[in-house]
Amino acid sequence: MTAGSGVSSAFRPARLKWLLVLPLMIFFVVFFVIPVGLIFATSFNPPAIGQVSATWDLTLDNYIRFFSRSNYLEAAGRSVLLGVIVALATVIVAYPMAFVIAKTEHPGRNTFLLILVLAAMQLDMVIRLYGMMVILGNNGLINQFLLALGMTTDGAPVQLMYNFLGVVLGLVQFALPFMILTLIGVIRGIDPSLEEAARSLGASRRRAFFRVTLPMSMPGILAGSLLVFALSISSYIVPALMGGFRVGVLPIHIFQQVAESARFQFGATIAVILFVLSAGAVAIYLWLGNRRSGGMA
Amino acid sequence: MERKIPRVMLILAILGFIYMLAPIVVVVMAGLTAGEFLTFPPQGLSLRWVAAFLQSESYLSAFFFSFKLALMTMIVSTILGTAAALFLSRTNMVGRGAMRAFFLSPVVLPGVVVGFALFAFYISTGIGLSRTIWGLWIGHILYSTPYVIGTVGAALAAYDVSLEEAARSLGASPWRAFRKVTLPNISQGIQAGSIFAFIVSFGQFEVSLFLSSPNSEPLPIAMYNSLRYQFDPSAAAAGIFAITLVIASVLLTNRLVNIRRLLDRRQ
Repeated sequence: MTAGSGVSSAFRPARLKWLLVLPLMIFFVVFFVIPVGLIFATSFNPPAIGQVSATWDLTLDNYIRFFSRSNYLEAAGRSVLLGVIVALATVIVAYPMAFVIAKTEHPGRNTFLLILVLAAMQLDMVIRLYGMMVILGNNGLINQFLLALGMTTDGAPVQLMYNFLGVVLGLVQFALPFMILTLIGVIRGIDPSLEEAARSLGASRRRAFFRVTLPMSMPGILAGSLLVFALSISSYIVPALMGGFRVGVLPIHIFQQVAESARFQFGATIAVILFVLSAGAVAIYLWLGNRRSGGMA
Repeated sequence: MERKIPRVMLILAILGFIYMLAPIVVVVMAGLTAGEFLTFPPQGLSLRWVAAFLQSESYLSAFFFSFKLALMTMIVSTILGTAAALFLSRTNMVGRGAMRAFFLSPVVLPGVVVGFALFAFYISTGIGLSRTIWGLWIGHILYSTPYVIGTVGAALAAYDVSLEEAARSLGASPWRAFRKVTLPNISQGIQAGSIFAFIVSFGQFEVSLFLSSPNSEPLPIAMYNSLRYQFDPSAAAAGIFAITLVIASVLLTNRLVNIRRLLDRRQ
């Protein structure tokens, strides 16, 4: 068999096909792989304020510093805890929404609901947070409402933001569309006759839901949670505005080290730790997805 | 009516939608309020903050800067992403899934880290991209291209390649068969993908954080800088324009491709 030229070869010459992906591959290697690789390298360089370039002078000092200072370890722990809480809260809020969208059979209504989700997802997070701040702030709509009803103790506002709670509320708002879109596909894929079978065998509606539909949604819930975890721990803007810099998470520390103190090496170390946490969650997500589709996809 | 949605589920879903959409409605109200800030109950409507936005040097220039940057990003992302999606749909090579995941990965990886990495890369290589629109452009392309690959990939999955093969067997050159048969079939997917690329760039914050400067400041960064210190209703008025842009583009996307089918493949 002679490969390559000739009428008998594939319609699209195999080698020319590579030209399609080459430009993006080069772009990603030059502007994504190399810069992130440089950050990894920089994190192993000895601290030198103001020095940006990576050198061959390698040390573990930055990592030792990170893991021996309680405030950085706490920030890492806080980021992970935040990611877990947000993932759980987002599942609880998103599941009924996804369920209703998946079960809405009227095409127009279904499309309308999807447009709402997509528009919310695509809208600039800073604008959504402006709205969140107007609602949750100390002089915000909720506190004005409570004050008008005389439901606050001594007129003191209920602290709904500039704390951990505010960051959670903001991140759930951020992550909701991603979770909904992940869950819709899974819920739609569940054969409704299974729930009907449970019902016909005498299970109550609630029991059929908790024993059949919900367990069968677990792969989607798990996948969505990993996605939301990765997105949440990576966010700078939500902890910055909703936490008012009082909730120190990893992205906030990266910005402080780099932009305010010019400590590039230590900033790179925190960046690597954040990157590994987030990429780890994404890797598990992909692995689960692959296993679910039986390697067919 | 066995298939009816349980009432508890419906109520919880409505509350969820309120949670998801209330901040957006509130921004529109804050931009249209007659008062100094949004109060409950509202103080009536006025266009004073919209007028303030239209006269404000900083917001207006940031708005147009973002618009320009998003257009530039859209063009490159659409070309690179469409070509890559074509390759991915026509190859059976072993690492295909891994390659696709690699190209989609920026969406879920920390933008602050990637922005910082590019910032350090620009400075240490001395290629003069730091704190320019070009440097921002590169970062935005990384984050917009995955959406083009996803959308065009969905269009290609719905397209029957044998149509192109038929054109080839009737004597059309590869390029002609592609241009006359495949391209018209996926063009709506490409258009939808380019709209996504535009909107993602227009709303991009995390990557821009390290790459912007007072001379090259996209709208989200400008709004963030003012929000840190005070509630400026003209920022909300700027938000109204951005919200209109997003809604218009999602509606346009829906006309171009079947959103329901597009999202079905996404999960």
